[in-house]
Amino acid sequence: MESNNNLPDKNGFFGEYGGKFVPETLMYALEELENTYNKLKDNNEFKKQFYKDLSEFVGRPSPLYFAERLTKHYGSGSIWLKREDLNHTGAHKINNTIGQILLAKYMGKKRIIAETGAGQHGVATATVAARLGLECHIYMGAEDVQRQSLNVYRIKLLGAQVHSVDSGSATLKDALNEALRDWVTNVDDTYYIIGSVTGPHPYPMIVRDFNSVVGEELIEQSKESFNTMPDAIVACVGGGSNAMGAFYPFININQTRLIGVEAAGNGLQTGEHAAPLNDGSPGVLHGALSYLMQDEAGQVKATKSVSAGLDYPGVGPEHSWLKDSGRAEYVAVDDDEALEAFHQVSELEGIIPALETAHAFAYLETLMKEFDDQSNIIVNVSGRGDKDINTVAEIDGIKI
Amino acid sequence: MNRLTKKLSKIKSNDKKALVGYLVAGDPDIETTVELMKLFSSSGVDIIEIGVPFTDPIAEGPIIQKAHDRALKKDISLVSIFQMIEKYREFDDVTPLVLMGYLNTFIYHKKLIENNQNNAVDSILVVDIPGELKLEDYGVKSNNINTISLISPTTKKDRVKLIAENSTGFVYYVTLRGVTGSSNLNIDEIKINIEEIKRHASVPTLAGFGIKSIEDAKLLADCSDGIIIGSSLVQMIEQGSEKKEFDRIGKYITEIKKAIS
Repeated sequence: MESNNNLPDKNGFFGEYGGKFVPETLMYALEELENTYNKLKDNNEFKKQFYKDLSEFVGRPSPLYFAERLTKHYGSGSIWLKREDLNHTGAHKINNTIGQILLAKYMGKKRIIAETGAGQHGVATATVAARLGLECHIYMGAEDVQRQSLNVYRIKLLGAQVHSVDSGSATLKDALNEALRDWVTNVDDTYYIIGSVTGPHPYPMIVRDFNSVVGEELIEQSKESFNTMPDAIVACVGGGSNAMGAFYPFININQTRLIGVEAAGNGLQTGEHAAPLNDGSPGVLHGALSYLMQDEAGQVKATKSVSAGLDYPGVGPEHSWLKDSGRAEYVAVDDDEALEAFHQVSELEGIIPALETAHAFAYLETLMKEFDDQSNIIVNVSGRGDKDINTVAEIDGIKI
Repeated sequence: MNRLTKKLSKIKSNDKKALVGYLVAGDPDIETTVELMKLFSSSGVDIIEIGVPFTDPIAEGPIIQKAHDRALKKDISLVSIFQMIEKYREFDDVTPLVLMGYLNTFIYHKKLIENNQNNAVDSILVVDIPGELKLEDYGVKSNNINTISLISPTTKKDRVKLIAENSTGFVYYVTLRGVTGSSNLNIDEIKINIEEIKRHASVPTLAGFGIKSIEDAKLLADCSDGIIIGSSLVQMIEQGSEKKEFDRIGKYITEIKKAIS
């Protein structure tokens, strides 16, 4: 939880992006959260508890694994996998929830709410809430409830309540709207665990900091594994929390290219995608100013991606800043390319990646041509693909 | 003088309370909205608040959300809203008109707001900007349009002062923790908070968000300078839209007006 730049500023901005664009009722709750976090983040007891939980409950550090057959397949540069898929609950999402539930506990909140897209953040939130015996409500778009039924059941098994949201496009963005409405209504006793580096300040900062354990470990593991810093880190970007966690500790390490891969859905040129950094413009959604998919009237556009976790029209404000400043690169791969990578990585490495993660893998097809044998490329394996088995089987025409 | 400022000072000097009526532009369609606005003002609404539809209206409860959705299906934007207002102004150049919406749609139509043809719009309320700031802070200049800021039960005293001083139209006191159309009014808390706001504000303080009945309206009007009715009107508009029967709405407004007078 160390800081590599002075962003966000005191008003929550990364350059021109970020801020607090919320109804007045939430302003105090955000201030209270910010004050609590600022007080605790450098507190030794708090840090000790956070890292203890990450070690004993999550199973960190997650390995950095040499992907031998994938490396051979491309024939240029070594490919390394940061195994966030091996975390308890199956994705990077647990890192953030472990940290935020400690904040909730410290603030004396009795009720936990969260939004979820692919369901991984819902599961991770329900998990930490169960552990502390706190009431937990998860908001999930009705379409995602359908395509991520396994995670819906997991959330219920963990004792949380799932609220299916059928307003708007019935996906992640609408789940976030509904969670914000719940928070406005129950602000006194409720803690809202946002699941990505999105939302109003201080969330993008808090979620980034808790997820930065990924990048911190990568610095150590890179030294141990190949004696230098990596040439590139590749991560998928929906809201952008797994990418931000991996990128942040590397912001001042200039030899490492930081590459975020967005979901191009049916293809960038069709307009049916979820790639605001590639094909969007700055706008305000869910409390922050950031790149956004919107029409000429400032209305938020519907998104399309085979991956529920990337199916979001906005992106964390710090990514917008990293894009404009040129420190990170953002590209996009479409549904077909991601599905191909999903199968390829399963067969070559014995790892079934989440469909979100498959987007990062798919970009290797382009990226590896830019590297020589001496290069080291890290793919952040943000989550495992068990939750996506039904989706992929259906696309492949198989009934389970 | 700005119509809103003029109207509010007249109401105050007559020792009356202001009645603000809310509807969503383009619900069920632009032509009907113009008719509804006429009905509002002829039945006793002093100030009309026009909801600017947005895809993600996070402060709205289900009734107003659905109205936003219905309007968006008709492709309503600020462009069509300004045209609609121009049409309305041919009939009524007195009633103050307030636009209420979300920042993203306003920053997309800076020019429209800056021009504000014939000063047709009197005030803008942006739900999702911090109350101590104005649209100007986001690059939208609007010399003849004043600002309405929200204060809620969770606003701390230091910010109450800043926000109250920033409001040039009126201060909109959100009476409850919740979205539009919720229930559970805590009258004691409301009284204390409005008194605090009035110590700092140079403009009137109006109350809105949870008014569901004539009784609520009366109670809130007693401790404020006026009230805002939204969800219950929008619900009646929804119910009357198919057959374009809106007589109930006029009667309801007249009853409320009487109760708070």
